[in-house]
Amino acid sequence: MEMNGRTDSEFKEEKCLKRLLTLPNDISTIPQLSEFIEGIGEELCLEMSVLMSLNLALEEAVVNVMEYAYPPDVQGDVTIEAIANETQLKFIISDSGTPFDPTKKEAVDTTLSAEERPIGGLGIHLVREIMDSVTYEYKDCKNILSLSKNIK
Amino acid sequence: MIIEIKEHDGGMTAILNGRLDTPAAVKAQQEIGPLLENADKEIIFDCSNLEYISSSGLRLFLTIRKEASVKGGKVIIENINDEIRKVFMMTGFFNLFEIRNA
Repeated sequence: MEMNGRTDSEFKEEKCLKRLLTLPNDISTIPQLSEFIEGIGEELCLEMSVLMSLNLALEEAVVNVMEYAYPPDVQGDVTIEAIANETQLKFIISDSGTPFDPTKKEAVDTTLSAEERPIGGLGIHLVREIMDSVTYEYKDCKNILSLSKNIK
Repeated sequence: MIIEIKEHDGGMTAILNGRLDTPAAVKAQQEIGPLLENADKEIIFDCSNLEYISSSGLRLFLTIRKEASVKGGKVIIENINDEIRKVFMMTGFFNLFEIRNA
């Protein structure tokens, strides 16, 4: 959160939250991500249904990194930074793996029949559906995916 | 996540309990053999106690649905909660399954 140029009183008025979680590229650690999101939800007094949606979006984005960012058998980390103010909750997901922009993935056609529906691609689709903004950049050898949700 | 599979008259019922997140779906993938084998019949997913589902869980449903359409069976999803209902809406899964409240 950018605090430069603000007076102390302005800073105090705004309720802020900042949390950090680093996980290895191992999907068995996903329950730790759920706990992390639940903790944030409690602190921000988010509604249960909003919390569930955020949990889902974050799981999809983080699993995507765990499964594809690093070559098989190579250990790597994924870092999830949560920043909130009164109106917006933002998650910044970063990894040092292969450059990959998930926002470039084609949209899923949800009108197709079961026979025609491809088995993949639903994860990023859910992220897009749930979050209010999804942006990607590659910077300092890192994939950085930012997911924002308006909370008030 | 606990998945319990039993036979019913005319097909198989899979009872899903807990959270079907990615690690749970990877495990469940190894347990759905009996459902795929019986995809020519009626497959019921009892979701009364299913709390959460991610895309990997949805893929499991879709895999069985595809097998059923090849073999001429039918997939019914029962008693999903409101949150899972929302996920089904967002992904268009509502159109792919017979969804009912028992």
